[in-house]
Amino acid sequence: MGGEHKENKNLAPEAGLPPVRIIRKGTAEWPARLKDLAGMPEELYVIGELPRDDVPSAAIVGSRLCSAYGHTQADAFGRVLAEHGVQIVSGMALGIDGYAQRGALTAGGKSFAVLGSGVDICYPRSNRKLYRDLAVQGGLISEFPPGTQPYSYNFPQRNRLISALSDIVLVVEARKKSGSLITVDFALDQGRTVFALPGRVGDALSDGCNYLIAQGAGIAWSPEALLEELAVKETMASYARRARAEHAKLLKDALPGLDASLTGKDGVLHYKQAELFKLPDSEADLSENAKLLLPHLSADPKGAEELNAETGLEPARIMDGLIELALSGYAEELGRGRFVRTK
Amino acid sequence: MFSRILSAAIIGIEVIPVNVEADVADGLPTFSMVGCLTGQVREAEDRVRTSLRNIGVAMPPKRITINMSPADILKTGSRFDLPVALSVLTASGFLPEHSLEGVMAVGELSLSGELSGVTGVLPIAVRAKEIGIKALLVPAENLAEARTVAGLNVIGFSTLTDVITFLKEGTLPEEPELPVFGTELNRYQYDFSDIHGQEAVKRAAVVAVSGFHNLLLIGPPGSGKTMLARRIPTIMPPLTPEESLEISQIYSIAGLLTPENPVMGTRPFRSPHHTMSPQALAGGGAIPKPGELTLAHRGILFLDEMPEFSRNALEILRQPLEDREIIISRTAGTFRFPANFLLLAAMNPCPCGYFPDMNRCVCQPGDISRYMNKISQPLLDRIDLCVEAPAVSYEELTRRGGNEKSSAEIREDVTRVQAIQQERFRGTGIAFNSEIPASRIDEYCPMEERASRLLENAYRRMGLSARGYHRIVKVARTIADLDGSREIRSVHVSEAICYRMIDKKYWRL
Repeated sequence: MGGEHKENKNLAPEAGLPPVRIIRKGTAEWPARLKDLAGMPEELYVIGELPRDDVPSAAIVGSRLCSAYGHTQADAFGRVLAEHGVQIVSGMALGIDGYAQRGALTAGGKSFAVLGSGVDICYPRSNRKLYRDLAVQGGLISEFPPGTQPYSYNFPQRNRLISALSDIVLVVEARKKSGSLITVDFALDQGRTVFALPGRVGDALSDGCNYLIAQGAGIAWSPEALLEELAVKETMASYARRARAEHAKLLKDALPGLDASLTGKDGVLHYKQAELFKLPDSEADLSENAKLLLPHLSADPKGAEELNAETGLEPARIMDGLIELALSGYAEELGRGRFVRTK
Repeated sequence: MFSRILSAAIIGIEVIPVNVEADVADGLPTFSMVGCLTGQVREAEDRVRTSLRNIGVAMPPKRITINMSPADILKTGSRFDLPVALSVLTASGFLPEHSLEGVMAVGELSLSGELSGVTGVLPIAVRAKEIGIKALLVPAENLAEARTVAGLNVIGFSTLTDVITFLKEGTLPEEPELPVFGTELNRYQYDFSDIHGQEAVKRAAVVAVSGFHNLLLIGPPGSGKTMLARRIPTIMPPLTPEESLEISQIYSIAGLLTPENPVMGTRPFRSPHHTMSPQALAGGGAIPKPGELTLAHRGILFLDEMPEFSRNALEILRQPLEDREIIISRTAGTFRFPANFLLLAAMNPCPCGYFPDMNRCVCQPGDISRYMNKISQPLLDRIDLCVEAPAVSYEELTRRGGNEKSSAEIREDVTRVQAIQQERFRGTGIAFNSEIPASRIDEYCPMEERASRLLENAYRRMGLSARGYHRIVKVARTIADLDGSREIRSVHVSEAICYRMIDKKYWRL
């Protein structure tokens, strides 16, 4: 092909990233999951790795403009699945895709993005950090040659690769008409199991998911439901626990003065916090303001105004409690002073 | 024969006394006016000639020359009709020779000889008192305004005939009853207690006013942003007579004073529409008139729908927010207008207004970031407080007679906190907590051990920037002052963190 020479010149991605590799159909590296499927491309462009054939993989997809509920659930599913060794495949889009992949990376797992542009182009640009992290802690995959712009008609096409590279597909939030439902159609054609995260009836963003459930999709009532489907054995979970314990021990040996109780699952972070600010270990240690507020927080984001209406506390006390809860990990701020409960 | 009378020109907000001289000499009958005049001033010829004829005074068929000095400043406006008429009458011998000595006159003439009101009478009266004139002759419409200057002899007339009678015979015209200056100060139409609920937003408003921190309100349509904004002038410290005089002069020049409201008794609340041009905001014209920024001096400038303002208009705000005045350069010179206002901005969370209510919001992800990006970061950096005004629930809307604090009560708190700041910054040139430079933060903002640890922790975990850090400390300083605490405690820091301006990249769910 005449263009091939030109493409090869473009094979250097931005500085600091691994080079772009071309994986051809029929070679040893070609993912086994794609082998028996029709309509697969002849070659894939990859920065980093491809999902391993012998490790379970799950696609997590959903709306770009998602709710706080979608955000926390995408993050939680991505994280818990990754903690159990599951590879997370998605599209690196804004919203659900990105949050799920970020969750997987935070948990120390692997995640893979199938892009609608060339692998050397980060789209959307606001996901640049995620793009770079995925390149080293997983992979960036595209069937489009490097340099291809993110044309809108590329995206439905790449969705078939997201489902093809996964064993199951989880839809976290989707409107009735959503690109995620295209992925679901492909997944069903390819024989993948589809799960949907149930939402409240009447939430426009959950209409698509609830509809899928009505059609017979699996109900993603907890990450464990997916782990069961993937037949991830307890051994894998216990392996993850052991790895975390080892990490904590290493840390403790290296830093003898460290209070062991502060070394949580992400030991390093907690160590830093311990130095800065004595964090409450349990609810009992929280200040009075924080204790009063905690029962009023939920997965629904609430601001000081709503909490004032519910509790009758003065704004100053509410804000004091909220910041304490946020810093001690009981709550998280989701933009512009709205908090959700995380513990 | 020659005669002279004083009048005044206004350049920007500065009043310059002008000598209006008339010479009536033999020769071909002409009427010429010189002295750097605009078309508006030149038209005085026809108005003066016609009105004199209509009150039964024939202009002599002589060579009449009018000069206005100093001749190097541009005179504009209609207030020179009366002085021109009077100097012509004196020069032609119709009025006694020395009747205009030490007299200053302003006023516009109608063809029937009636006097109508003009702009800028108040600052002219102030200047007239400074230069020590005997009497200031003004149209009756402007009498109340000019009378607010104590110790100045002001006489109001409704017709040119009355002026002539006075100058010939010393008969004073009848006067309407005028309000006494000072009694009408600080009476607001609205009160803070009108707002039910919205505790967090109201609290933020009090903090903003106390430390002179600019405030951004974010909320869906109908969440009461405008209602709150209108009431913020009512909780600012009471307007003093000096301040009232200062802003009344600006309003006089802008022509916004009426006989019913001859002085500004309340702090200004300016809410320019978002289609406003940069010139209208800053002050436009060959000789600029006070723009919205100057009209908001010592009060509130409220920009509703801030992202809808043109970028150029918003960028105009940056310099006045730093310097508390605006400098405009035109061919006619450089003009300095005061612009010491508190900026209050309001915006929807997204173009349709309903984000993050995903059942109602119809915006695409790109729409929201485009909307946010219309406001430049340097402008956001000058806004210390950001608070969300959530939609008002039906219960709150209909709740009656809660224990809402009245404006007067809040005003006392605010005044007390501003007094603390005055004491703290004595002799430093700083007026409010919002103006503390980064280099002196440690000096003015001593912090409890626990508070500084909380702040450090928040800095690392909540993605604060260095600028954001300083703004939080300054806001915490104000909150501590409201609490009467010398040291900043952790409660104060927590509250300040909640009001912080969230970086645009985190500005989504």
